[in-house]
Amino acid sequence: MKRSVLVTLAAVVAVVAALVVLWPRSVEAQPHLAESGRYRFVLTPTSTKSGSNSFDLRVTDRSGNAAQGDVTVEPAMPRMGHALAPITAAPLAPGHYRVPEVDLFMAGQWEITVSLGTERVVIPLLLI
Amino acid sequence: MLVLGAVLGIAAPALADGVQSGADLHVAQSLGDRDLTVIIRRVAEVPGPVHVDVVTHAGTPPGELTLTLRAAGAPSSTAKVVLGATPGFHSGVVHVDRPGPWELAVDEATIPFVVPALVSSPWENATYGGFIAAGVLLLAALLLAVLGRPGLALVPSAGVVAAVAVGVTAAMLAPAIPPVAAPGTQLDPTFDTVMNPYERTSTTDFSRPPVTMLPRMEGNELVLGLTDASSGRPVDDLLVHDSAFVHLVVVSPTGHLRHLHPIRTAPGEYRARLRDPEQGEHAVAAEIARRGGGVQLLRSSVAVAGTAPATPNDGKAETSAEIREAGRPSTITARFGERDLQPWLGMLGHMIVVGPVTGSPVDAPVWAHVHSMIPPVPGMPDKPDESVAAYGPDVPFTYSFPLPGKYLVWIQVERDYSVVTVPTVVDVPAAKAVPR
Repeated sequence: MKRSVLVTLAAVVAVVAALVVLWPRSVEAQPHLAESGRYRFVLTPTSTKSGSNSFDLRVTDRSGNAAQGDVTVEPAMPRMGHALAPITAAPLAPGHYRVPEVDLFMAGQWEITVSLGTERVVIPLLLI
Repeated sequence: MLVLGAVLGIAAPALADGVQSGADLHVAQSLGDRDLTVIIRRVAEVPGPVHVDVVTHAGTPPGELTLTLRAAGAPSSTAKVVLGATPGFHSGVVHVDRPGPWELAVDEATIPFVVPALVSSPWENATYGGFIAAGVLLLAALLLAVLGRPGLALVPSAGVVAAVAVGVTAAMLAPAIPPVAAPGTQLDPTFDTVMNPYERTSTTDFSRPPVTMLPRMEGNELVLGLTDASSGRPVDDLLVHDSAFVHLVVVSPTGHLRHLHPIRTAPGEYRARLRDPEQGEHAVAAEIARRGGGVQLLRSSVAVAGTAPATPNDGKAETSAEIREAGRPSTITARFGERDLQPWLGMLGHMIVVGPVTGSPVDAPVWAHVHSMIPPVPGMPDKPDESVAAYGPDVPFTYSFPLPGKYLVWIQVERDYSVVTVPTVVDVPAAKAVPR
């Protein structure tokens, strides 16, 4: 009786360990923060996969007040020496912008340059 | 253990990739008056056949080519390819008898390439060896138990545990082991490095010195001498990048552009024919990639004693441009009407930018080559070849012009096996002075 309990316990431990090691981890789309001299940019992609994507952008000044002005997004893939046409983000609310559709067609490391006026930041984005 | 087995069973074929995963090699060649693309298909088995496709383009004279495949110490194999009058694919089959560095000669053009060997990696051997040893030891343990020696059976049982641990560890760690430096792209390919790619070298920085380009004219052939800028020796380690060894752009004094792919005729010597050249100083720029390093742009000029009248490039397309000030990304889109463009040099389109021009293109400070890419298809490592005429019709390019001024711009695409070159001129305004 005691032995069968031990065997069951060992099996459970083995299965749990295997699950922990082998469980497929999905990559969540995280917000990416970048700060320039005056502004704080937070870019959240909807997807971390290559293909059609969209960005949610929040731009505030360093003290947290919503920023005003036209925000431009310039995606580029440095390893391929390839840049996409710049996109002007659509304003939703003060300091809140959205880039509705951007075709990041290739997996790999992208660089998203976000600019407001003369302030610009480069946000790295890894797509799988 | 069942779960592990299932996962490993799925993972095992993926381990077999790596060094062996070959792909088709596309090489554009300006061979005499012909603009050809030579496609060396992936070699499936060694010894075995090598399928070579020669793609002709509009205006290629019909005739016969001789393919010769040779390697040091191996019998060479020859095939004839008859080029028809209609542009398209023409096939020939030659044979390899061993893996290693080979050279395909297409008439006088020589293309070095590597036939990879099927070598299993040490971690593959550990995985399979571990599981096979576990099976054998399990049988031995059972046999001893049946024979009534349970004490002795403990020895092979311990062996089973050890062997399974080895196999599982190797299989779990294999995806995280970085691939070895590939002979042919990072290391110089020799028979030894191809046969034993897992013998690690102490080299970690594979980059090589820059290249000196010396152009000269021989009749109407432009000959490029490439020498190593550190040793002065001929450079004979060019990689095929963007489907050619050398992307040579020649701009005449009146602004006529040629995009040629010189053939290798000797170590460090590449040549291309200029058909009907103009008189005068031509601007010459070559893009090359050395083994183990990135792409280099080599600029020079050459005096041409031609007699032909100045002819502009005659491609037609509607172009629309959104030009921003210098330093910011500008976008130029060429619209070709119908969705029947073919990939050229693995890309949807090419844009050559020369400027700002004040006098001759030879003195232009900026020289750029911008691509419009074909989106990759997931799970398809091979690029589509020119037989796929289903791209376009809009070809966008994004480029940040570094200086204000007038730029000469040419957009190149392929349609009906003919390269279309659309000339245009772009005026880039100066960056606005920003009050601080």
